[in-house]
Amino acid sequence: MPYHTFKCSKCIPERTKHAVIKGHGEDLTSCLPLGYLNTIPGSISERGCAFCGAKHVIGTPMKDVIHLCHGPVGCTYDTWQTKRYISDNDNFQFKYTFATDMKEKHIVFGSEKLLKESITEAFKAFPEINRMAIYQTCASALIGDDMDAVAQEVMNEMPDVDIFVCNSPGFAGPSQSGGHHKINIAWVNQKVGTVEPKITSDYVINYVGEYNIQGDQEVMTDYFKRMGIQVLSTFTGNGSYDDLRSMHKADLNVLECARSAEYICNELRERYGTPRMDIDGFGFKPLSESLLKVGLFFGLEEKAQKIIDEETARWKPELDWYARRLKGVKVCLWPGGSKLWHWANVIHEEMGVEVVSLYTKFGHQGDMEKGIARCGEGALAIDDPNELEGIEAMMELQPDVIFTGVRPGEVAKKLRVQYLNAHAYHNGPYKGYEGWVRFARDIYNAVYSPIHQLSGFDISKDEIDMDNGFVTKNIISDAEIDREASIANNEREYTGKYDCVTHLREKTY
Amino acid sequence: MDEIQNEKVEQLVNYIMKWSLWQFNSREWDREKQNEEILKKTMQILCDEPVDNGTPEARYYWSEAMILSSDFKTNFEWISQMKKTEIKKLMEDLKNRIDYLTITGSLNAELKVKRY
Amino acid sequence: MKKKERSGIINPIFTCQPAGAQYVSIGVEDCIGIVHGGQGCVMFVRLLFAQHFKENFLLASSSLHEDTAVLGATHRIEEAVDVLLMRYPEVKVVPIISTCSTEIIGDDVEGVIRKLENGLLKDKYADREVHLISISTPSFKGSMVSGYDIAVRDFVREFATKKEPNEKINLITGWVNPGDVTALKHLLNEMDVDANVLFETESFDSPLMPNGDAVSYGGTTIKDLESTGDAIGTLVLNRYEGKLAADFLETEFEIPSIIGPTPIGIRNTDAFLNNLKKMTGKPIPESLVRERGVAIDALTDLVHMFFADKKVAIFGNPDLVIGLAEFCIDLEMKPVLLLLGDDNVNYSKDPRIKEFEEKVEFDMEIIENADLWDLEERIKNGDVELDLIIGHSKGRFISIDNDIPMLRVGFPVYDRAGYYRHPIVGYSGATWLAEEMANVLFTDMEYKKNKEWILNVW
Repeated sequence: MPYHTFKCSKCIPERTKHAVIKGHGEDLTSCLPLGYLNTIPGSISERGCAFCGAKHVIGTPMKDVIHLCHGPVGCTYDTWQTKRYISDNDNFQFKYTFATDMKEKHIVFGSEKLLKESITEAFKAFPEINRMAIYQTCASALIGDDMDAVAQEVMNEMPDVDIFVCNSPGFAGPSQSGGHHKINIAWVNQKVGTVEPKITSDYVINYVGEYNIQGDQEVMTDYFKRMGIQVLSTFTGNGSYDDLRSMHKADLNVLECARSAEYICNELRERYGTPRMDIDGFGFKPLSESLLKVGLFFGLEEKAQKIIDEETARWKPELDWYARRLKGVKVCLWPGGSKLWHWANVIHEEMGVEVVSLYTKFGHQGDMEKGIARCGEGALAIDDPNELEGIEAMMELQPDVIFTGVRPGEVAKKLRVQYLNAHAYHNGPYKGYEGWVRFARDIYNAVYSPIHQLSGFDISKDEIDMDNGFVTKNIISDAEIDREASIANNEREYTGKYDCVTHLREKTY
Repeated sequence: MDEIQNEKVEQLVNYIMKWSLWQFNSREWDREKQNEEILKKTMQILCDEPVDNGTPEARYYWSEAMILSSDFKTNFEWISQMKKTEIKKLMEDLKNRIDYLTITGSLNAELKVKRY
Repeated sequence: MKKKERSGIINPIFTCQPAGAQYVSIGVEDCIGIVHGGQGCVMFVRLLFAQHFKENFLLASSSLHEDTAVLGATHRIEEAVDVLLMRYPEVKVVPIISTCSTEIIGDDVEGVIRKLENGLLKDKYADREVHLISISTPSFKGSMVSGYDIAVRDFVREFATKKEPNEKINLITGWVNPGDVTALKHLLNEMDVDANVLFETESFDSPLMPNGDAVSYGGTTIKDLESTGDAIGTLVLNRYEGKLAADFLETEFEIPSIIGPTPIGIRNTDAFLNNLKKMTGKPIPESLVRERGVAIDALTDLVHMFFADKKVAIFGNPDLVIGLAEFCIDLEMKPVLLLLGDDNVNYSKDPRIKEFEEKVEFDMEIIENADLWDLEERIKNGDVELDLIIGHSKGRFISIDNDIPMLRVGFPVYDRAGYYRHPIVGYSGATWLAEEMANVLFTDMEYKKNKEWILNVW
């Protein structure tokens, strides 16, 4: 078994089976790290908690909902405004956050009354919103408040409102993934089947595991709508509470992030017979095949093909421009979960970058199976990496850029490794054809930054460049490429706008 | 399996691993069904046999199989040179291999978890 | 002074106690805190720090999971301490910071520390200096502000010893930025005062070096902490962010202390220098008269022309809000709404609040245990008309959605570049605050075409 032992982790034997290097001839039966096990205390892992997995990742992207946490104020504050899941209702879901602000007296005497008051106050403050999700935290779970009973009591008294209860305290599982699971199952148990939707098309899907990061969902639903498909609900980015209650009425569940949302697709398949179709919104080929696949299911393949042809013609020359310049760029693909497999192969195939390492903070072995299946030989795959392991890997692998979160990005910065935000993106969206070019553009801008180049000079030792008043990133990137061929191939830099999403909201189909 | 056949199977396996997701459902029983249905339908398409796509479930498998068979034909020209019996054997070997990699030989401990 | 009229919170001003203790922890050299609770209690606080400072800081978790949440989790502390010490050989100080969950399950942190001191530390780390400190910060009490106060005290209590008088003063800065520490050190230097600046954040603003070896860390050492017991006095700038430690030093070592004022604005900086003078006997030098003059010069250009009668709302840490309000009043502005974001019962007894209540002649609302909805609701209902909001980034949408200009001050500020680098204390801080307020107002005038032509000549 090709396990990799980090020098910094030799002293913690529990880590020995959490990293592998995919060697020549290795396959999934010989090369797979352990995954989704309890975190080693004190290891400075990057994992979050099951509360945030439920509330912050999956719950809050629902746009027309009051999101109320039952607990001390920190859980609410900390999971507020740190994501870029936008919505077409002016981002109500991330502008406003609600907490019961549990204090010591509530710990001692119970806080169900406080919860009820907080619920009614919140509805009073926002009379136009009559849907709510309430989230348990460590504190409310440990004191044993019956949140379901309180929610039911309020619903009995206020017939216009509907409340979803999510019991996923922070300690419920090794990572945020525990919360993904809990909220999936809670939603299908409590809410699916409680609303009968208006069906406006013969072709109806739920778009699942999609969180509308910087507008991903809006880009993708634009394609579906152009094919004549009704997107009944999105679980959960830019999604509507009542739409999600009617998920049982879709003909197909189109699943994007299987890590966070396969549970609900599996349950819907079992309970309602709705097929689950896994797709990839990232990358020209995976996206095209995904659209075609959905098209085939409904007999709409010609419409899908038309979109594929139009979009490819429009954006391929721009992707090619970047791909020519990104060839051989070394990447650490270090996201939270699903992007490790969404991106592992296609960024190599379509942009020419080399994935030298991939990791997952909160993923399971199933994610690593996909990631390792898709990455190239020699890649270092790490489960639940900790800070020192990340640093050791970067020192050893010398990547040009890493795709990770905000804070680990700061670690990389100090090591002179450029960083792109894999969760919230730099200048996304990254889904869709244009989005994929934006991703390539962002990688390019990071890797060929003149300031990044300057950061490596030691003015006390190195010879100072007195000849250049400036250097453009093109000068750096094009030093070794065939510019003539690039021009002959009609390649061009990105020509889209800063905001490529908002205009979609005005569109009629 | 002879070496040539083995080489062909590995090319197809590699393609599926790099580009498909259907083989990685989270539980053993789902993987068995996915592998069985999608690869069977892919074989049927490649062999110009009739394919059932009447129910939503079958229609889903067929959609996956349509993509896969088309990709196989585009990326592996040798497939179109093969006789139907050869394709059937190839697809049988492919299925066995995929089953091994994703189910019987899998190291994924969650495959046997009883619930989703 | 009023209280928030609702039970729950809509858009909180603060996070909870453990975050404050974590902020103190990163101010100490060779120190990595272990937060005893769920992983989110650390992960998100580290993210918050990273967003504010654009730097990474080390904090560990005991990673509470389901089994341990029910059965008790002190063994997770034991394991965390060992793993941390094994892998970070430079670490000498490990505060164990409790959270709501581990307080509710009743984990005996002090007990486990004694056990570790008599076991693990003796057996495995005998030749290594290691200090384990229990910091009890249940999330259901106070806020990040009280968490800071508690942790400062607990660190000081752990280390302070009385040996030789060191002729220094202890300066407890409170929850401030690197730019503030630089400004304070400058004033101390000009006054020729030797100060022990505690939990100091100046080095948080670290470089990106050619060899890639720089890290951000706090500058307070064990020695600094030990010598707090030998100081001639303790100066606490923020009443709610350091007073507990000063009280401890006063009781335990008879070290006199002066609490506040927060040196925001000219008048409070004057008072700060006067306090330094009182404590050390050192005179205020000519150089500071001049520096003060430069600030007054800058303010004079702005105050009666642009600031007079402008209505301001301020939210954030209580000492910050109070200091800013006092400064705004000196700038002829009207801070009509102050929001203090937790339920500390001492706010209503605060002499500065009393002074507002007695002396301010315009309508001024002060709300304790407030949230940001207290601000937004008043704006939306027309109960308050504002020219300016001063507060941290979590209130950014109030400004954006209601078309009211906002100056980002406090913690966290993640939607403006480099603000941690600028001081708001001292004369330089007064200048920066006033000029930034002016620039924010100017930009707003231009966006709204609201007498933007006034700036044709200035």
